[in-house]
Amino acid sequence: MARARRTGTASMRLGPQPGEVIDRNLAYSFTFNGAECRGFEGDTIVSALAAGGERVFSRSFKYHRPRGLLTATFHDPGCLLQVGDEPNVRAAHRKATSGMVVRTQNAWPSLRFDMGAANQLVGRFIGAGFYYKTFMKPQRLWPTYEKVLQRFASGGRIAPGCVHGEYDKRYAHPDVLVAGGGPAGMAAAVAAADVGADVMLVEEEHELGGHLRFGGVADLRVLAELRAAVRARPSIEVLVDSAVTGRYEENWIAVLQRGLPHVTERLVKARAKALVVAPGLIERPYVFAGNDLPGVVLSTAARRLVNLYAVKPGQRAVVFTGNDDGLEAAEDLGRAGVELARVVDARSGGELIRARGKGRVESVELGDGSKIGCDLLVTAVGWTAPTLLLNMAGDTPRYDERAARFVPGGGLPDDVLVTGGIVGDGPIEALVAHGHAAGSAAGNRALQTGEPLEIPLLEPAPHPALFRARTHGIVDYSEDVSSKDLIAAAREGYDSVELLKRYTTATMGPSQGKLETINTVAVLAEATGRTIAETGTTVWRPPYVPITLGALAGRILEPVRYSPIQPWHEAHGAKPIVAGQWIRPEHYGDPAAEVWNVRQNVGLIDVTPLGKLDLRGPDVPKLLNFLYVNKWSKLDVGSVRYGLMCSEDGVVMDDGVTGHLGPDHYFMSTTSSGASAVQEWIETWLQTTFTSWRVHVTSMVSAYASINVAGPRSRELLARLVDDVDLAPEAFAYMQVRTGTIAGVPGCHMWRIGFTGELSFEVHVPAGYGLFVWERLLSEGRDLGVGPFGLEAQRIMRLEKGHLIVGQDTDGVTQAFSAGLDLLVKLDKEDFAGKPELAWEHAREDGMRLVGLQPADANLVPPEASQIVSGDNMIEGRITSARFSRTLGRSICLALVSARLAEAGTSVAVKLPDGRRVPATVTEHHAHLDPEGSRLRG
Amino acid sequence: MGNVPASDPIARLPIRPYEPVRRHRGWEVSGARGTGVLDLVDLTPFAKMLIRATPGSAFSRLLACPLGRTRHDGDGTLVLHSGPDEWLLVAPAGTRPSIVEQLDAVGAGHGAGDEGELTSVLDVTHGGFLVRLTGADSNRVLEKLCAIDLSGRATPNGSVFRSSVARVVCEVARDDVEGVRSYLVHGDRSVGQYLFNAMLDAGSEFSIGVAG
Repeated sequence: MARARRTGTASMRLGPQPGEVIDRNLAYSFTFNGAECRGFEGDTIVSALAAGGERVFSRSFKYHRPRGLLTATFHDPGCLLQVGDEPNVRAAHRKATSGMVVRTQNAWPSLRFDMGAANQLVGRFIGAGFYYKTFMKPQRLWPTYEKVLQRFASGGRIAPGCVHGEYDKRYAHPDVLVAGGGPAGMAAAVAAADVGADVMLVEEEHELGGHLRFGGVADLRVLAELRAAVRARPSIEVLVDSAVTGRYEENWIAVLQRGLPHVTERLVKARAKALVVAPGLIERPYVFAGNDLPGVVLSTAARRLVNLYAVKPGQRAVVFTGNDDGLEAAEDLGRAGVELARVVDARSGGELIRARGKGRVESVELGDGSKIGCDLLVTAVGWTAPTLLLNMAGDTPRYDERAARFVPGGGLPDDVLVTGGIVGDGPIEALVAHGHAAGSAAGNRALQTGEPLEIPLLEPAPHPALFRARTHGIVDYSEDVSSKDLIAAAREGYDSVELLKRYTTATMGPSQGKLETINTVAVLAEATGRTIAETGTTVWRPPYVPITLGALAGRILEPVRYSPIQPWHEAHGAKPIVAGQWIRPEHYGDPAAEVWNVRQNVGLIDVTPLGKLDLRGPDVPKLLNFLYVNKWSKLDVGSVRYGLMCSEDGVVMDDGVTGHLGPDHYFMSTTSSGASAVQEWIETWLQTTFTSWRVHVTSMVSAYASINVAGPRSRELLARLVDDVDLAPEAFAYMQVRTGTIAGVPGCHMWRIGFTGELSFEVHVPAGYGLFVWERLLSEGRDLGVGPFGLEAQRIMRLEKGHLIVGQDTDGVTQAFSAGLDLLVKLDKEDFAGKPELAWEHAREDGMRLVGLQPADANLVPPEASQIVSGDNMIEGRITSARFSRTLGRSICLALVSARLAEAGTSVAVKLPDGRRVPATVTEHHAHLDPEGSRLRG
Repeated sequence: MGNVPASDPIARLPIRPYEPVRRHRGWEVSGARGTGVLDLVDLTPFAKMLIRATPGSAFSRLLACPLGRTRHDGDGTLVLHSGPDEWLLVAPAGTRPSIVEQLDAVGAGHGAGDEGELTSVLDVTHGGFLVRLTGADSNRVLEKLCAIDLSGRATPNGSVFRSSVARVVCEVARDDVEGVRSYLVHGDRSVGQYLFNAMLDAGSEFSIGVAG
């Protein structure tokens, strides 16, 4: 489809300018509201559009008034546009690129004819506080109001299917971080580098230079020198198109980096030894009737357009100024061929009353009564000091009435310095000298070298207090808040600046007060008869610029742990399950068949995630005696014992086995989920209480691949691969451990233990050989019917055998006796972790008890967590584990029940989620299969 | 792999090796060539011994490496003193650091008797992954994953620390190679593949490559 070329707009592109940032050899096209536009490499979206004669880019938030360019910076409130799928793009900052699809937000059906503009007709009825007054009653209709109001919310749209960008984080530790790459900031960076500091220099614009970039020839010369000085110092890292968004304790500084080739945004977490705050100043708009008409621009915006982008801002201009910068803007405009209709200097009594026009500036009315036709009105009425970083460092900036702006209050800590325009004014040499001194001082403080340096004074220059004309106009361009709104709110009693802010939403829009804070304060001061100093400002809060949620999240770093056998599991169709950080096979297609095979033949399960702790030293038995509730003093080399570990409140913490491998050498096995906690638990005791005990604990979880070979033919299978350990039952009995060679791999531990209730061997193989041994077991056992089994089959078999799982069959209050492990708890031991609480529990004989349970309906498997209830519907316990056992041909459970119901043969009622109650009977043992253990002792 | 004779076991890396795959001292390793600019190499087959000893003891003096520093031993072993009572010895695959022999000779290795200082020596070759990241931008890759100050002033060549790298506890040692900035990263084997991927991802903007 052919695209319309923008029509009716003369080219406003100027000839080459000395400081232009565009590359005229690289032209491209993009679209704006469907029409094709042209730009050069280096153009922002808005500069390219302005070069094509476009004056209106958006509609305002509430009244849908046409809005054009105001500041030509990131903070320009009239230049928020949709770019492709990305809403709210700061189009006066974002570089245009070839093929970009740019659209207006907040206008329907088009930017030129916006139905929302009808709001202007009822503007007098929807002033400040309109929502609060209108939509309060009746309260029940608020949900409806909310939906209606949401339709009026400005902002772009995110397509549900839009591509998610890549985001990133980075840590940095510069000696000195300089926030602001203007002349003072660059000088500070150079000076800090020269005393030996590593420097991070952060600049919000696309290039270093600050206001020098759009200055005259002399400014450009200084700029070139400073840039060369920065480039010549490799210890200065320059981040452009980046913003310091906040400063926290000990100079923890957040920096948002944009415009990177590899990621959408990056959050840099910088810990600087010293911070130099050099953000410069932000030019302030003037409040007067018609001040938001397209064609009303700040002097710095006009200079940016002419000098950086070679764009003529208009044809005929009026300049209203209170400083020399306005005069310099007028000079630039004249050089650019703009007809200067009048330059009005407030210092000599000039006054601006209003701007008129339909959709754009057409004329200006001055204090002397003259009305001048023009399409451009440039204002230069003063500056706002962006004091966020000073506020966050503990300073309270003070209002300097003579300069009509806030300045640093002198309350900064030693490691935060401030320089540049935010401190004061002067010729460029004075700014550079101040920056240089501040940078040297920062470098010295960071490196703790050198003598304290004297930083020269930099006084703010006198400036007329120009905030509002005799007429009323817009104060907050983002929120459509006028000076009339503010005065009305003050009269309603909102005469505190913080209250006024929240009531009117002034300073709460996308520009976050950078353009409107001081004017808001000034209008409030005027309304209340106070001074600006007495009125105070709202608090600057981070972030200084918006940060996407993506940048805050950064890269997704979620550790994932794999067993050495994982490639085999993946290749053989294992269904993965996430178990903590581990990826484990839940089953290989049919868990019931896997159980059957283990019960009949032999199966392999990868149990690598089991906790494994190597314990060495002469005091290990004392440690085990303390950690476990049972006795450990006498455990022969080669023997293994089951142990239960409780926390100090007697609550079951972990269970597992520990084997005695050799002199002063033990090996503890814990649950997979408890591995880290148990190690920390042990270290805590050793490092805080038993500091004289000679024990070394080392986690070996990943050092060994662990394979449980289970089933009646497991011994036969293992024997085919082991020739240096006698596996015969009389030589290697249940609950014993041996070390030997499996499939040619030496140093393997073999344990006669198991969780399935079958004859089984748990083998620990040096991890690198885990896959090799697994495959050898499978190939050697083919004729024995060997097959893999997963976690689900293991869960079924352990339930058949009645083995509890800590954390599933116990909870955060289940003490050892409640877990039904009475025989294990040796209260006659001198001491062990949890003993006092367990002694108390033993004496009480109350609480809950873990029991085996079988539903009367053998085919019914109650969902886990189903409640066990009494006749009067009181909760008497819950099902902790439930499965159907193909081996037994019925459903089986473990349950925690009230002690009075724990007697074998007791019938209880299980309440199902659908409300039905079904009977079940408490069994004599936890084990539903082979309670005597003849199979596993095989 | 069932036809592999039992006498010829194959050890596998925690990180799937890039093609071409070859064998080296019983390990299946990558024979890939890196970029020469910024390369990540899996050195997991290197012998790794963990020494636990009391700081200031005779055994610790034998290791001759202050806390937070590394030391190259004469036989190609790198000693990393990464914890107050922990030393990691890294030696070429299939070798046994001579310092372990010295420790054995003076009675360490199996827990001391009733009188002596407790010292233990564990072979953790199979328990950890070990990768080397080499290149001028190697610190910029790690800066995206680790909060520690990697500047030459804080962590110069020859320093070692234990910290979180991509949310995994690792030992990181700066061990420059022929004047080029280089880091050894050692951590739990089970997270090796994850961390390797995370480092490749973080290094993509610096043209990171994988070498064998």
